[in-house]
Amino acid sequence: MEPIIRVDHLVQKMGRKTFLNDLSFEVMPGECFGVFGTRGTGKTTLVHILAGVDRFTSGEVEILGTNIRKSEKYKRDLGLLTQERSLFLDMSVYENLDFIAALKNAPRKNIEEMIERFELRELLKEPITVLDTIGTYQRLALACALVNQPKLLIVDEVIKDIDLYSRRLIIKELKQYLADGGTLVCAFSNIAMSHYMTRVGWLENMKMIIYTSETALAEWKKQEELYTE
Amino acid sequence: MRQILNIAHYEIAHILRDKILLLIVFIVPLFYAVLFGIIYIAGTLQHVPLGIVDLDHSVESREIVSTFENTPNFKVIPEVNDYAGLEAGMKNGAIRAGVVIPEDYSQKLSQHQLTEILTVYDGSNMIYGLNSRKYLQQVLNTFSAGQTAAYLGGLGMTKKEITNVMDTVSFSMQVWYNPTFSYTTFIFMGLVVMILHQVGFMSISLTVTREKEQNSWIQFVSTAVPSWKIFVGKAIPYFIANFFNYGLLLWFSARFIDVKIGGSVALILLLGLLFNIIIVSLGFVISLYAPNSLQITRYLMIMSVPLFVISGYTWPSTHIPEVLNKIAQSMPYTWMANGFRLVTLKDWGFADMSMTLAVLAGMAVLTSFFALTFSKCRKPLVQTGLVVNETTSYPRKR
Amino acid sequence: MIKQSLAIMKRELFYMWRDKGMRNIMLFGPLLGLLLFAGVYSYQRVGDIPTAIVDLDHSSASRQVVMGLENAKDLKVVAYPETYDELEKLIHKGDAIVGIVIPENYGKDVDLRRQTKIAVMIDGTNMAYATNATTAVLTVTRTLGAEAGIKTLIAQGIEPDQAKEAYQSIEFREEAWFNPTLNYAYFLVLAFALNMWQQFSTLASCMNVVGEKGFGSWIQIKASGISRLKLFFNKSLVHIFVIMLIVLPIYFFAFVVFKLPLASSWSMLLLFTFAFAVALHSLGTLMSSIFSNAINASRFGMVVALPSFVISGFTWPLEAMPQWFQPIAWILPQTWFFQGINYLSFKNPGWEFISHYLLILGLMAVLFYSLAALAARLREKAFR
Repeated sequence: MEPIIRVDHLVQKMGRKTFLNDLSFEVMPGECFGVFGTRGTGKTTLVHILAGVDRFTSGEVEILGTNIRKSEKYKRDLGLLTQERSLFLDMSVYENLDFIAALKNAPRKNIEEMIERFELRELLKEPITVLDTIGTYQRLALACALVNQPKLLIVDEVIKDIDLYSRRLIIKELKQYLADGGTLVCAFSNIAMSHYMTRVGWLENMKMIIYTSETALAEWKKQEELYTE
Repeated sequence: MRQILNIAHYEIAHILRDKILLLIVFIVPLFYAVLFGIIYIAGTLQHVPLGIVDLDHSVESREIVSTFENTPNFKVIPEVNDYAGLEAGMKNGAIRAGVVIPEDYSQKLSQHQLTEILTVYDGSNMIYGLNSRKYLQQVLNTFSAGQTAAYLGGLGMTKKEITNVMDTVSFSMQVWYNPTFSYTTFIFMGLVVMILHQVGFMSISLTVTREKEQNSWIQFVSTAVPSWKIFVGKAIPYFIANFFNYGLLLWFSARFIDVKIGGSVALILLLGLLFNIIIVSLGFVISLYAPNSLQITRYLMIMSVPLFVISGYTWPSTHIPEVLNKIAQSMPYTWMANGFRLVTLKDWGFADMSMTLAVLAGMAVLTSFFALTFSKCRKPLVQTGLVVNETTSYPRKR
Repeated sequence: MIKQSLAIMKRELFYMWRDKGMRNIMLFGPLLGLLLFAGVYSYQRVGDIPTAIVDLDHSSASRQVVMGLENAKDLKVVAYPETYDELEKLIHKGDAIVGIVIPENYGKDVDLRRQTKIAVMIDGTNMAYATNATTAVLTVTRTLGAEAGIKTLIAQGIEPDQAKEAYQSIEFREEAWFNPTLNYAYFLVLAFALNMWQQFSTLASCMNVVGEKGFGSWIQIKASGISRLKLFFNKSLVHIFVIMLIVLPIYFFAFVVFKLPLASSWSMLLLFTFAFAVALHSLGTLMSSIFSNAINASRFGMVVALPSFVISGFTWPLEAMPQWFQPIAWILPQTWFFQGINYLSFKNPGWEFISHYLLILGLMAVLFYSLAALAARLREKAFR
């Protein structure tokens, strides 16, 4: 089976500082691949490279069979939810969905479906700057990311600090997405999340080590004990 | 097509929601045009305050005074009546020109001796200086012709004989293209083109930086929508607005400010079209690569004076060193402003304008090429050393 | 207490330095501007006005006219087209500004004392050319007309002395005061450079309030309990200091290197400039307290700063603007500044004249600073 993502000797330097040094890994279809690391270890850097947002220094990245330096065809089947808020601040909830659907060339009926699935009906006219909780914002952001029914979804800290209702909804939808055959890359910083993942790529010191979800937890415990001594 | 229209649609929505951008796009150009229109409405400099020092107080010297009193070019200020007063008035700006008639004027005239009239004008303001000088020359030409006629009359010549002698060689002077020496015709449209230039850049150049600052640029970058569609979609509203302003300001100038706008309408439209394409695409490119909106705003604003001065629109390019002319020729403003004047005042046709059109078209192709084919990938932001207002953030209340 | 002030000032200086865009503008802008303008106006006068002469006569009399024109001040004969049509084309294309046509049979007509007419055309599109060209033509035609008239009179049997007297009994002497050669560089180079300087200064002072309140670090200052008056007073001191600092090289290059005229004393000039710097800074501070982000503050600061040179009447005179508009023009500190600079550089108008200007600029500063404080107050209340 062809991998969805193939990363080969990826290096990212900005200025004099190296953020990612010689990363190689693959993500298989249907996987829920976790990218774990504490703050500042390069999770977002990696996510931005995978989503084709940022340029990278060297190495090769292939997504859905295309070299991402050469073509952006793969972006048609990509969904992205960023850690930093990146929806259009000057638009309402509905306008964001509509506009992003247009950018992605997604059919209009998908918008309706997303509104239902993420329970956004009541909020459609609200400007997104006044959405009361980060939970509702994340629901909308995920709806926008999924509006084109992507084969690969990349999410960055999707349920960090959010209200429990939205959290439940989002997790349910992500599970549904995986069940429908989607592939998920999920950056997170709370180790407790790792039991949702098929595998965990642990970023530390510019390198990535791959664990299964259990071994990742065990490694965290081991390190915790090490530092308490 | 749907994508382009959608992008355009939401760009329009943004313009309508951002009150200040709306102001810049639709009100500021007209505001400036009205402002400059008011300033230059008079067109010609008249009633230059003039001090006459008549030391002779004779019938003959009164004649000179009345010659000056009877021209609308000067306004004789009666308070000035001695040389010290003249000097003081020139110094504090109460008068801008002066005439001194010597005390032995009538005496020497009657004795057929050479006498001298002194005229002075204020060179500290060139518009006063050059116009006063010209007006003084005109008055004196008339006056000395009168003197000659009177002298010949004294020799017993008849009126007809006198005219015959004096008109043996006469000069007819015509001023072409701007017969009234109107400063409005001269400078106003250059300012209007500058307004369109600056406002055009100001409005579109924030379109990408704005998205970057709000982080929503990621939505464009992480989807498969091609670069050229982003540019075209975002540019359409500004392109239309710029063209609307072009028409509006031309109409306003011709209707209310009495600027002479003649020439081929097709050429005027073509110039506007090319200029508009250049501004929209260059503004977009600037927006792509500039660090943030604050820096663009600053740099763009301060460009207007140098661009105007160097363009050769006022100070003729024949009198500007070649190096600077070369720089000026790489600026779209230079070609547009001068080209516009040549079409509207001198009625240049397509053949005469081929050079200007070729250059503007070349610039349009080049700038739109870069705008259409930009790389969507961001260069990751680097924080180098201690800097403020350099990244996508700048001081603002959220 | 002094320590606190020094800390604020030091921090403000670093802030301005680390704002790279602002730093580049402030460091290089004024001098680049001055050099550019000095370059543009390096010819100083619009002399050598391209002139074309059509001599349809080719007689010795017409050649004399041509010679007269060739020697005329400010005119430079660049072409001798054969026909009127060619001349028209030259002027149309802009290759000649002045065109002169000497008619056929000119020599014969003069000999036979028949009237003849020399046609002069001037391209009026560019006023810098047109006014100079007109004056030059007026002067030369008076001379040529007189010469022809004298000849005619002598031919009619009038005594040569009398003939000359008829035309030349009055001599006209002209003097351009304050700028005797009507030098454009003297008039415009410094003014344009100062125009850019006041724009940069506006940009800098537009950051005064919003540059502080627009950052998260404003919370630190609020929490520290320092008085706003003290904070902004010290910040403003630094701004005005920097604004004055960058005007010095302009003055140095203008008056020492390029030798532009300065009629007044240096101390008077600097005092006047200082008063303006304070007034201008107060206006920028007002902008920066009205608007909640730096871009809008800069934009609206520049909305005022950009046209202020044209409004000031430095080039197109205030007196030529509509009567009702003139008081409005005097509301801007820039109008006082550019008017004052013109007097100081050319005329040395004396203390009494300038003290009036200083007073007005001072009052403006007080007014604008107070309004700024008021606006800031109101904004904070609105947010609470």
